[in-house]
Amino acid sequence: MTVPEAGAVEALEETPARHGLLRYAATKAGGALLSIAMVIVATFFLFRLLPGDPVRALAQGRNMTPEQLDLERARLGLDKPIPEQFLHFLGQTLRFDLGDSYEYKRPVVDLIGERIGSTLLLTGTALVLAVGLGLWQGARAGWKPGSRFDKISTAISLVLWSVPTFWLGLLLLMVFAAGIGPIPGIFPTRGSSSVDKPDGFAGVLDVGEHMVLPCLTLVAVVYAQYLLVMRSSVIDEVGQDYITTARAKGLRDDEIRRKHAVPNALLPTVTLVFMRIGFVVGGAVTVEAIFSWPGLGQLFYEAIRVPDFTLMQGTFLLITVSVILMNTLADVIYHVLDPRVRSA
Amino acid sequence: MRKLLASLAALCLVAVLPGLSGTARAAEPAKKVIKIGVTQSVDSMNPFLAVRLVTGSIQRLIYGFLTVPDSKTLQPSPDLAESWTTSPDGLTWTFKIRAAKWSDGQPITADDAAWTFSKMMTDDGAKTGNGPAVENFQSVAANGQELTIKLKTPQASMLDNPVPIMPKHVWEKVKDISKFDGEVYPTVGSGPYIAVEHKKDQFVRLEANPDYWRGRPKIDELQMIFYDNPAASIVGLKKGDIDLIGRLNPPDFESLKGADNIVQWNTQGRRATYLQINHGATTSDNKPIGDGHPALKDPKVRTALHYAIDKQKLVDEVQGGLAKPADGSIIPPLYKDFFWEATGDQKIGFDLAKANKILDDAGYKKGPDGVRTMPDGSRKLQFRFSIHTDTPIEDKLAEYLTGWFKEIGITLTTKRLDSSKFTEETGTTALFDIAISGWSVNPDPEEVLGTHLCSRRPTASGQGGGTESFYCDPTYESLYQQQQKELDRTKRADIIKKMEERLYTDAPVITLYYPNDLEGYRGDRIASITPIPEDKGLLYGGSGYWPFYTVEARTTANDASEGGGSNGGLIAGVAAGVVVLGIGGFFLTRRRRGAADERE
Repeated sequence: MTVPEAGAVEALEETPARHGLLRYAATKAGGALLSIAMVIVATFFLFRLLPGDPVRALAQGRNMTPEQLDLERARLGLDKPIPEQFLHFLGQTLRFDLGDSYEYKRPVVDLIGERIGSTLLLTGTALVLAVGLGLWQGARAGWKPGSRFDKISTAISLVLWSVPTFWLGLLLLMVFAAGIGPIPGIFPTRGSSSVDKPDGFAGVLDVGEHMVLPCLTLVAVVYAQYLLVMRSSVIDEVGQDYITTARAKGLRDDEIRRKHAVPNALLPTVTLVFMRIGFVVGGAVTVEAIFSWPGLGQLFYEAIRVPDFTLMQGTFLLITVSVILMNTLADVIYHVLDPRVRSA
Repeated sequence: MRKLLASLAALCLVAVLPGLSGTARAAEPAKKVIKIGVTQSVDSMNPFLAVRLVTGSIQRLIYGFLTVPDSKTLQPSPDLAESWTTSPDGLTWTFKIRAAKWSDGQPITADDAAWTFSKMMTDDGAKTGNGPAVENFQSVAANGQELTIKLKTPQASMLDNPVPIMPKHVWEKVKDISKFDGEVYPTVGSGPYIAVEHKKDQFVRLEANPDYWRGRPKIDELQMIFYDNPAASIVGLKKGDIDLIGRLNPPDFESLKGADNIVQWNTQGRRATYLQINHGATTSDNKPIGDGHPALKDPKVRTALHYAIDKQKLVDEVQGGLAKPADGSIIPPLYKDFFWEATGDQKIGFDLAKANKILDDAGYKKGPDGVRTMPDGSRKLQFRFSIHTDTPIEDKLAEYLTGWFKEIGITLTTKRLDSSKFTEETGTTALFDIAISGWSVNPDPEEVLGTHLCSRRPTASGQGGGTESFYCDPTYESLYQQQQKELDRTKRADIIKKMEERLYTDAPVITLYYPNDLEGYRGDRIASITPIPEDKGLLYGGSGYWPFYTVEARTTANDASEGGGSNGGLIAGVAAGVVVLGIGGFFLTRRRRGAADERE
């Protein structure tokens, strides 16, 4: 996990700015690799600290004889000393093999592969909507702080932000899936598609229909942070000299906001957006559990319930690593976008 | 701004439009489908590996077994085994396998059964699911339709063999059973249904097996639909996304009251809820383990605790009246043949005065604070009560017990543990005083009785186990061995009742009540369904395939329009509204922008 030598980069003989960027990126990448290495080690030991006997828990209340339990333990390699288990785990992980799930008796990589698509679909869509809505509303609210629009949107977003996800999800489920009073149930109660999912375009629509409620829940609870960051960022810009200059030039207010203030105010949100992309991979455990959405979050939740060490390690590693990578990427992109950081 | 608005409108459109797909679905020809909501996901479609209850229920529908509980009496009755004989010493069992066909047309022979059992006896990987079932097998042999099993020791529960018989010609090709997920569709089986599709953590689709030996089931398709969230499954039932859901807890069951078209199913259950008491836990080599309170080693203290519990009150207040107070042991009254109930002097009713007297007489004196101490004054009678986190019912239970125990000078403090920690502390390390427990009982109760055997205690290193309260009692042990050898059902039942009596009087466990089986189904979708046992039994989660073999769907015109189709119009309306709003908003911003341009 050594940081690549800066000398190798220097040899490229680039312009000073470019040179600085590469060096910066290399340092960041090195840091990320180091973090990942630490996460790999920590993951193993962290989950071994959890209470409970996975083998017994696997039986799920069924009776197993001592011989059967021992056999199962040996099959999972749990009878071996911890250091040996660790070396085995390390060797596997470096080969991108996350082992077999105790519970499903299948490779963790396969299980993750089956789920990652539906998680990306759900959380990805929610992220796009939340970012879009949050930034737009935040920019408008921040442009005229204290206005009615500002007050209302800040209040709404803060309320949604503080509402427990589980409660909100369940509420949406009760109202829009079951239907209350005159409101009939519209949306499905579970899953990412119908059992008799039609083919082609109708199938796409079917998935879309299943996505509405979980997506809405996710957007509702996460968009506030984009709104608030964007709002305060725009407020900062409003006081700047260049805005006054633009106004003095007689530009339309609307145009100043769109072309001058918003682009500058967008900078701080870059980190936020990228950090969230990291979490997108992890999915939204709560939302997936409420709507029985077959994604990674649900898989992780299931793994903890058992506890299924290999599955837990695998999903946890994937989530952490993607968060680290996205953070690194955010840093680098910020570096590119904001000259002030570059010169600092 | 304009672009942003437009794209938002488009996204809304994409999100809402799908409702229209319901209309497309309505056009499909009406198939008789019954959808069952389940709150446990399938662990493996390979019967050699699967351990979960839900998977067991599905296997019962796909594969034949040697015997199946009779739908009326729950006694073992013919399934794939048409008839059977036992040698006088009880060691040799001969089964005559029915001349039926696998769902791929191949004949079923004794060879299939012999292969299944031999595989489990010889391949460690194949032992995961049902290993204990063949533990006592000496040898298995097949001759045409005749299957001969030789046992090591007599075993009365032999006729309740839980192993699905697998088609040899399909499964012998599997190289490594322990790595095979069994996801090949349609499955080759011999039960009433054929699995045709499984989407992990979403659903399993089963189609009627036209060649089933008892005759084709009355419906075309059975779907097991997985709900991660029980609350959502209730919503699903009310809405009609699913037609039946079993294993409900009292509040969810109550919430179905008065709902349109829903039939509430409330009957005797197959579970017992009891307290397990750390009466001096030991390991399998008889060494003390854990930190149980010494007072609980005294049977008199345990009996006093028993007298201090108002079971009727618990049923009324904790279970909402949806249970039966227990005057017996761990086998619920559903199993009439094996159920035992205390009567006369033996019966322990709610009697705080008597409980106090027992403790007074035994020398546990009350201190000035009203709490009793050990006769030697060494420790106060303060017990911990281990329950699961996030289970409101157990919290409530703890409240009541704490109140009553206080009346007899015993302090009870609640200790909440997550389920894996709970299993570890109450089953392996014995770091508890009193803990909540419960078990689902099969038509043959041997399994649950076995949890109180000496051999089920863990080793000193915490290996093995499977014990309930670390019980090890010579009387109980010898009765267990007797019932194992007794092939006469009535005589065997008598011995089993003696075992229950022993558990009742010695009180290593105190049975509180037998929770009812609570289910709900759509009366507008299910025309009839026969429970097991037939008079007043279970629908889902019972034993055997009877309910889902007999289930009949209503054939009405709304069959096709059910589930999405009926909402098509409304959704189309909502979608149209959103489109109009979106377009309206788009033009509005354009207009404003236009006006601004003019202003400039």
